[in-house]
Amino acid sequence: MPPDVEITEAELVERFPYVRMDHDTKHLYRGWLARELRLNRCRDCGFWHHPPKPVCPRCWSSAVEPTPVSGRGSVHLLTWLHQGPPAPDVDYAAGPHPVASVELAEQAGLRFTTTVVDCPRERLEIGLAVELHWIERFGAPFPVFRPAEG
Amino acid sequence: MARNPIKDQVAIVGVGSTGFRRDAGGRSSASLACEASIAAIRDAGLGADDIDGITVAAEPGSPNPPRLASMLGIQRVSHFASAQPVAGFGLVDAMNAVFSGSCEAVLLCFAVMRSPWNSRSAARDPFRRTVGAGVRPVPELVQGAAGYASWASRYIHEYGARREDFGYVAINSRTGAVGNPLAAIRTPIDMQDYLDARMIREPLSMLDMDLPVDGADAFVLTTAERARELRPDPVLIHAASVGLVDRNDEDQLLDLSRHGQHVVIEQLKAKSDLWLSDVDVYLPYDGFTIITLNWIENAGWCEPGGAGRFLESHWDAAGNRVLIDGRVPMNPHGGSLSEGATRASGHIREAVVQLRGTAGERQVPDASVALVTAGGFFFNSQGAIFRRG
Ligand SMILES: [Zn+2]
Repeated sequence: MPPDVEITEAELVERFPYVRMDHDTKHLYRGWLARELRLNRCRDCGFWHHPPKPVCPRCWSSAVEPTPVSGRGSVHLLTWLHQGPPAPDVDYAAGPHPVASVELAEQAGLRFTTTVVDCPRERLEIGLAVELHWIERFGAPFPVFRPAEG
Repeated sequence: MARNPIKDQVAIVGVGSTGFRRDAGGRSSASLACEASIAAIRDAGLGADDIDGITVAAEPGSPNPPRLASMLGIQRVSHFASAQPVAGFGLVDAMNAVFSGSCEAVLLCFAVMRSPWNSRSAARDPFRRTVGAGVRPVPELVQGAAGYASWASRYIHEYGARREDFGYVAINSRTGAVGNPLAAIRTPIDMQDYLDARMIREPLSMLDMDLPVDGADAFVLTTAERARELRPDPVLIHAASVGLVDRNDEDQLLDLSRHGQHVVIEQLKAKSDLWLSDVDVYLPYDGFTIITLNWIENAGWCEPGGAGRFLESHWDAAGNRVLIDGRVPMNPHGGSLSEGATRASGHIREAVVQLRGTAGERQVPDASVALVTAGGFFFNSQGAIFRRG
């Protein structure tokens, strides 16, 4: 795991002005700054969950730990936004913007929602194998997926 | 049978509506709430002094119960609550308050207004700039609308559903709205109109989702006993329930076979003496067409994945609408797709109007039982069975 960027919580919040962050979700975004997708995993029973919760919903342990995921998964849900909220890297006029919920290899039903890049429209469909990738959004790293190699 | 001591014990005895418009024109949500509330209280044959409970839906910009009491001069309130949006939450709160004895007569008010985040014209209205203000969203948020579009893709993927399957829901709603002056959009459409509609969140288009509107519905609930003294046509709440499961984040829902709608249906079936063969009017939520298709399946009208074929086979071509078994209409008022985003207060209103027999040209002959299945998959599934008192 690369060392985290040394910033205060106030600075962390400022780096992600589009996020409603709290003490349960802050670890996720510290991970982004290190270009790691860290989802909560229970140290006692091994269960992963997302979005971040203060306890493990399976065993009620408080020992939930932001843990890097492999980044491998497949598209489970998919929508194409023909219009929507603005972002500097999104141009709706150039074509619909995909939003995908990726089911991660770590656990059935563990999903992370973001966009998919470097993928022609006709190839992007439910079931496509993808891998984690990082782009810059509003001056901070932003996790996305792209088609898996090979 | 599950425990249901409240069965037929609480009645809707007053109803009022402003109607719903894309722009109510220089009126506040509070103004619309007052108009609907006064109409509902008068419709019940009551006055401000008879109301001792207030439940409102906590919609952006809508007045809360203390403000409603102060605006309407309601002098003594012993129960008040702000319920989550989508009307069943308020309905259940109000009926329980009456049944438990917390109060005698509840004003149940639902006021909606367009907010800057869902309406460009509202964004230009300086008086609405702070309504619903919060963190600026990014395109990839799965919360809310994108959640339904995403699951619509999954539904198509799993069942091979056709776009026409969704289209039947949209066409049926517009046909109903022709006879409903409260609806925001009243022009009928056909399948070609549906297929040609502009995509918004593919696979869902403009015609797959309700539109933001201004307007308010209000109801008065009291005991069935008192209701019979007030009006000859009280509408009884036979059974009502909300439903939730643990995995209710939009993108974490395990699959379409287990979510809040299933809990609601299990509850209603266990609590009710009446079920689908008794229903005269079916009022499923249609904030998004995918929700309606799922309700039809989950209520048990047909098997999972079969809603499109069900609508096709129960289609009344002459009437350009659904008529289940040639008898039961679905959302004869036009639903939220035509009235606008009433968040199901319109569905409850239509149940009341049909069971009173005052629905005019869209009246279902001798309607005595109405089923409302409202809300979506994640955090607002709910349903109710109403009967003529
Ligand atoms: Zn655990």
